[in-house]
Amino acid sequence: MLALREIQRGGGRFAAVVGALALIVFLVLVLGALADGLFYGATGAVRSTTATAYLTSSDAAGSLIRSRLDESDVAGASSVPGVTSAGPVGVLLTGGNGPQGALDLAVFGIEPGAAGTPTTLVAGRLPEAGEDGVAAVDTRLEDKGVEIGSTISVGDVSATVVGLVSDVSYQLQPTAWTSVATWRQMRDAVRPELRGQPTAVNAIALTTDGTVSATALTAAVPGTTYLTADETALAIPGVKQQRSTLNSIIYTTLAVAALVVALFFALLVLEKRELFAALKALGSSTGRLGRGVILQAVVASALGIILGAVLARLFGLVIPAQVPALFRTETLLTITAFTLVAGVVGALFSLRRIAKIDPATAIGGVL
Amino acid sequence: MTETVEPILRVEGLRKTYGEGHTQVVAVDAADMTVDEGEFVALLGPSGSGKTTLISMIGGLLAPTRGTVSLGPADVTAMSSKDLTRFRAGQVGFVFQTANLVPFLTARENLLYVASLVRTPKKDAHQRADQLLEELGLADRAGNLPEQLSGGERQRVAIGRALMNDPDLVLVDEPTAALDTAMGRSVVQLLRREIKSRGKTGIMVTHDLRMVEYTDRVFEILDGVLTHVETPSALEH
Repeated sequence: MLALREIQRGGGRFAAVVGALALIVFLVLVLGALADGLFYGATGAVRSTTATAYLTSSDAAGSLIRSRLDESDVAGASSVPGVTSAGPVGVLLTGGNGPQGALDLAVFGIEPGAAGTPTTLVAGRLPEAGEDGVAAVDTRLEDKGVEIGSTISVGDVSATVVGLVSDVSYQLQPTAWTSVATWRQMRDAVRPELRGQPTAVNAIALTTDGTVSATALTAAVPGTTYLTADETALAIPGVKQQRSTLNSIIYTTLAVAALVVALFFALLVLEKRELFAALKALGSSTGRLGRGVILQAVVASALGIILGAVLARLFGLVIPAQVPALFRTETLLTITAFTLVAGVVGALFSLRRIAKIDPATAIGGVL
Repeated sequence: MTETVEPILRVEGLRKTYGEGHTQVVAVDAADMTVDEGEFVALLGPSGSGKTTLISMIGGLLAPTRGTVSLGPADVTAMSSKDLTRFRAGQVGFVFQTANLVPFLTARENLLYVASLVRTPKKDAHQRADQLLEELGLADRAGNLPEQLSGGERQRVAIGRALMNDPDLVLVDEPTAALDTAMGRSVVQLLRREIKSRGKTGIMVTHDLRMVEYTDRVFEILDGVLTHVETPSALEH
């Protein structure tokens, strides 16, 4: 009764702490959205396919773009027990042309139907096995006027768009998914130095069941490294670093939230010493008063979270489309939980102060 | 005087010292005191006389150096701090110098708050709070916050709060300190009426001789030494 009535009637001071928490939550959610946007934008091409693992050349540190393998390795990999499908993956980061001019592109050459085929088709169809000169493209290219039936080209090699796939960006670039043969023509068109390597690909995509052994795979295809799709996502250059940088900013900011709550309640308890002494004299226990303060911290944090989330969502609406921000419910829930914990931890610091208030000081005093 | 009943409050050899060795201060020395059930007594003394220390020990707020305080069958001085908290909530009513009401609770909620400390069923608590406020002439102020009440009204709410949990003993600390004489008198009159009509036992700490006429007996304390004075008039020279 006491704790909630104080928030209800205490007015301004609680508005101040709720406001401060709302700003912190807003900041953390926007940072979280940027972190998620960067992560999902960098890793879509690895996450949104049938591949559960990748083989890359040992010197590539798991990076698809750095890896060099031969198409013949696919046969070696598919013979290993536990591998249900294996397919070649060719990657080309390049510039291309669309209906409205230049495009940034990551071209993926795959064997349609084999491991590595996108699973997030939203319109049209994927290239069929053995079908060259067609591509399924990233929905992000729709902003550049690309649609089903459009032609995109890299160098003098062009492909007709037959489908749209979502959440497949690679290193923040929109992707185009085509056959290995078409990919290789495009590669040769813009990278003359790679001509004359007619069987080179970047990596081998694998669909595996639980029984597959990494050692068996690397023994079957010597000079390779086996990483799961999740590990391959983190091995994309910069992804881990971006993640850890943004996460450390986020958790530092949440620690600041705990500090704000701790300072606020420390001041509030200091201000209410006389009242708390009287209430203790009247028979209120330290535990009861402390629970009240913690309840207030939870309510203030919850209000701050709601307000901060609304602000962040509104900010998300005005954020320019080029900024890779992604507001995910999971991130919101994590940050909500952390903020509540920070609030409670902050309020816990006041308990010692409350415990030290001597009820005997309620008597006497003025005279 | 009325027939004496069993003393409800017994204070025996109560002593409180602060400090050690030659810096030791004796705040209360070997105080003996008995108060009968239904009595309203005054504890008179100047500033620094030890009256605050004595009343704090009686109310279970301060542990004595030596001696015992018992209220009915309960030995207050033997209680753990947890038991003391429960004892103060249920068996003692306090009225402080300044009303010390919870500023963000209405008059009625201030009464209900102390009822919640002893887990009074809601319905009973509401009924009792309304009845007390009515008796104290505060029925139309029940929904007001302390800041909207006069000093006298606040002190009346504090009296209601002290009586809310039907305590055995009501301890009143300089209730008129923050009030003018007329207001002070009416508050003490009301206090006496409420204590007497309920058959409660009350001790009022005061330094104001004019308030003594509303009490049955007077104890005087000077430099930590407690004496029983026969009638209040004996003090008036």
